[in-house]
Amino acid sequence: MNIRTTSLAIAIASALIGCTPDNSEQAMNGASDSSVAANAFAEQAAVGAEKFAANCAACHGINLEGSTLGPLLSGRPFMQRWGQRNPSLLFNNIKANMPPGGNEGLSDDDYLAIAAHILSVNGVDTVTTALDPSTDFTIADNASAIASLRNRNEPPAPEGVTVAGNVDDFVPFTPVTDAMLESPDPADWPMIRRSYDAHSYSPLDQIDTSNVANLRLEWVWNMHEGDSEPSPLVYKGIIYLINPGNVIQAIDGKTGELIWENWAGPANRQDMRNIAIYNDKIIQATTDARLVALDARTGKQVWETMVADNSQGFENSSGPIVADGKVILGLAGCARYIKDDCYISAHDANTGELVWRFNTIAKANEPGGDTWGELDDIFRAGGETWITGSYDPELKLTYWGTAQQKPWVPVSRHLTIQDEGLFTNSTVAVNTDDGTLNWHFQHVPAEALDLDEVFERVLVNRGDEKLVFSLGKYGILWKSDRVSGEFKGYKETVFQNAFTDIDPVTGRVTYREDIQNAKLNEWTSACPSSAGGKDWHSMTYHEPSGLMIAPLSQTCLENAAREVALVQGGGGLAASRKFFEMPGTDGNLGKIGAYNVDTMEEVWSYQQRASFHTGTMSTAGDLVFVGDLDRRFKALDVNTGEVVWETRLGTSVQGHPVSFAIDGKQYIAVTSAVGGTSPRTVPDVIATEITYPRWGNALYVFSLPED
Amino acid sequence: MTKNNSTRWAANLFCMALLALFTAPLALAQDASFRAHLSKMPTTPQTKNAISGGGEVIATLEGHTLTISGHFEGMSSVATMAHVHMGPPAQPGPVVSAITAPDSTGGELSGQIELNDEQLAALKVNSLYVQIHSADNAAGELRGWFFAR
Repeated sequence: MNIRTTSLAIAIASALIGCTPDNSEQAMNGASDSSVAANAFAEQAAVGAEKFAANCAACHGINLEGSTLGPLLSGRPFMQRWGQRNPSLLFNNIKANMPPGGNEGLSDDDYLAIAAHILSVNGVDTVTTALDPSTDFTIADNASAIASLRNRNEPPAPEGVTVAGNVDDFVPFTPVTDAMLESPDPADWPMIRRSYDAHSYSPLDQIDTSNVANLRLEWVWNMHEGDSEPSPLVYKGIIYLINPGNVIQAIDGKTGELIWENWAGPANRQDMRNIAIYNDKIIQATTDARLVALDARTGKQVWETMVADNSQGFENSSGPIVADGKVILGLAGCARYIKDDCYISAHDANTGELVWRFNTIAKANEPGGDTWGELDDIFRAGGETWITGSYDPELKLTYWGTAQQKPWVPVSRHLTIQDEGLFTNSTVAVNTDDGTLNWHFQHVPAEALDLDEVFERVLVNRGDEKLVFSLGKYGILWKSDRVSGEFKGYKETVFQNAFTDIDPVTGRVTYREDIQNAKLNEWTSACPSSAGGKDWHSMTYHEPSGLMIAPLSQTCLENAAREVALVQGGGGLAASRKFFEMPGTDGNLGKIGAYNVDTMEEVWSYQQRASFHTGTMSTAGDLVFVGDLDRRFKALDVNTGEVVWETRLGTSVQGHPVSFAIDGKQYIAVTSAVGGTSPRTVPDVIATEITYPRWGNALYVFSLPED
Repeated sequence: MTKNNSTRWAANLFCMALLALFTAPLALAQDASFRAHLSKMPTTPQTKNAISGGGEVIATLEGHTLTISGHFEGMSSVATMAHVHMGPPAQPGPVVSAITAPDSTGGELSGQIELNDEQLAALKVNSLYVQIHSADNAAGELRGWFFAR
C-alpha cells in the first residue's frame, strides 16, 4: 500500500466515523488536511506504507493480501491472531522476525511505522498518538469502521455440509475397525502414508515397470485454492480429500463424482496435510486447533472439541492418526512466550474427550527440565509436532518427531549451545495407554539453524530387529531401535557442513564452532537450508528391496540471529536468512536418494534442477512416484532410479501420491498445489527460471487403459 | 570477517597446511581438471531479482599453476571484478587472486594463478571458489566452488 492508498484509507475511516450523528459536520466536510496532519499515528502509518512496500510487500502483498511466500496480514485472520494483543508485541514480533532476509536497513522507527501501517489497514482508527515500543492498548478495541466495513462486504463463509450426499449411494459403507487399520486392504489407503508403519507403500502391482509408460489420466478434480500439501484417504473406492480452508470432500474414486462436502471452518487459505478415518467417522484437525468428527457417509458433523487455544497462537497443519482406538494428534504454533506449551494429545474417538497429553517442552520441575538453562517456564518455546506420527500396535507405542527450540538460534533464546532443550528435535516414543514417555532420542540438541527433525518416523522390521527411521532437515537418515531407543546408525544423504562430527556409536552431533558461538546479527553460512535436506514430504520404504527412498533438497543458507526480548506474549523465530545453491550439486535442487536400510549405503540417486514437492510413494510394481516444482509427475524404477514415465500437470505437483484399487483396477492419484512453506520459498528465490501458475490445486487420478 | 570466522578460518588453514604437507608431492605429480558451477550469491525474496545469472568455470592444474577459463551470463549489472577465494564449500573465505572478467553482464573469464602449497591443498578439498562482483552487487553476484571433474 502506498501513501496515496493509505491516505485514502484514512479518509475512508474518517468518513465512516463521520457517519455517526456526533460527527455529522466532519462527515460533510470530509477529513481535513489539518486533522490528518494533527494525527501522528496516521502520519506514522503513511511512512509505514512506504516501508512496507519496500520491505514486506514482496511476500505479504502490497495490500497485505498475502501470497505463497507470506500470509495475509489483514481482515479477520489478522484480528483473530492479534486483536487481543497490543502494538508493542506486534512491533517486537515484526522486528524479531521480519523481513526474513535481513533487517540491516530498518530502524526501530521504521518497524513502528510498519506496525502502524498494518494496524491502520486493519481498521485501527481511534488512535492519534504515534506508536512507540511500549504502546499498550488492545488492538481490536481500537478498530472499528474499516474492519466492520470489510466484514460486511465479505460474503459469509460456508459452514457445515455444503454439498449433500451419501457414500452409501455409491458404495455400501462398512465401518473401519482397528484390525482394518492394522492391516489395510491392498486396495485402500486409509491413513496418511497408508499404514501405521508409515511406509507410503502400496502392495498393488498391476502398474509396473513394464507398463507404466501407458499410464493415462483418468480424471481430474479442481480443489479449493490456498496452501495445500494433502494426503488423500481412500477407503472402499471413496476418496476423502482435505482441501485448504478446512474443507473435506468425499469423491467417488472411479468417476471423480463429488458425493459430499463439509466446511468445518475457519474458511481461510491455510494448509492441512491429512485426515483420519475410524469406525464411521472422518476425523480432522482444523487450522485453528480444533478436532472435528464427521459422519463418513454424509459429511455431517458428529462431534467437535478444542485441542488448544488458537487466540494464543496454537494451530495445526497436520491431522491425526487413530491408534489404539484413540485420536492422536500433534500441535503447532508454539513459539510464543506464554504459559502453555506444545503437546501431543489423545482423544476418545467416539466423543472427542481428552484422554491424555504428552508435553514436548520440559518444565523446570519435570524430567529434562534442567536442559533449558535458567529460563523460566514461560520462555521455553518450540517443540511443535507438526507432522503426524506413526504407531506400533504390538508395542502400543506411537512415534513422533518434535521440532526445535524457539527462537531458532541459542543466543536469541537467551541460552547457549549447552542447553539441549528437551524434548525438542527428538524422536519420542509415547505409550498410547496413558501418554507417558517410553523413550526419547534427541537428534540435534540445542538446534541452532532452524533445521528440525520433526518429520515422519518409519517403522521397519529387519529379522529380529524392530527399527525406526527418520530424516530431518540436516539430511541425516537416522536409524534407532524402536523398542529401546538405542542409536543404530546414520547416513548423510546430502552435503552438510553444520556438524564437524557425528559420533558413530552414540549419534551425538557436534556443531561447527562458529555455529556454536553465533552472536546476534552475525551471519553464519551452513548447509542444508531450512528447506531441508528433507522436509515434510514423506519418504517411502520399499520392503521388497529393503530400500528407503527419500525426496531430498539441496540448498544452503546464511543465517543471522536477532534479538528477542524475554517478554510475556513475545517470542518468535528471530533470524534473518538468505539462500543459495548447494556447492557440488551443479544447481540440482532436487534429489531422490535410495538407501539400503541394513548397510545405510546409498544404492542410487536421481538429481534434477527442480525441487521435489511430493512425498515418495513406492508400489509392489517396483515403481516410486514423485512430483516436482516444474509440474512434472514421475515414476522411477525402484531398483535403478531410472525415470520410466512422466507427465506434466497444471501447476507444481505437491502433496502425497497414493495408490488404490476399485473393482480390481489400480489407480495412482496425486495433487497439484501451491504453498508448502520453506521447500517452496527457497527454490522460488534460487531457481527463479522455473515458472508455474500460482493457482491450480487439483487432484489427478491415473490408470492404465483397459484392454 | 568476524572474529569467530577468523578463528575458524585460522583453524582451517592450519588443517589444510597439514594436509598440504602430506599431499603436495602427490599434487605436484598429478595434473587435474576442476569445474565450478556459478550460481547466485545468497538471496532472499526481496533480492531474488537483483541477484541473477549463472555460468561455468574450468580450471586446469599443472604443477602449482592453475589455469582458469569460463563464462558467465545474465548478471543484473556489469561485472566489476572477479576473484578466486579460499574457503570450504558454502563457507566464504579470503581472496587468493584476481582473475579477468569483462566489463559486462556476461562474457568470458580467464586467469592463471600460481598456487602455494596451502592453496593447492585447499583446491584438492573443494575449498577454492570463483566469485564475480557487479556494479549493483559489490559484495558479489555469482559464485561457484571448484570440484574435480
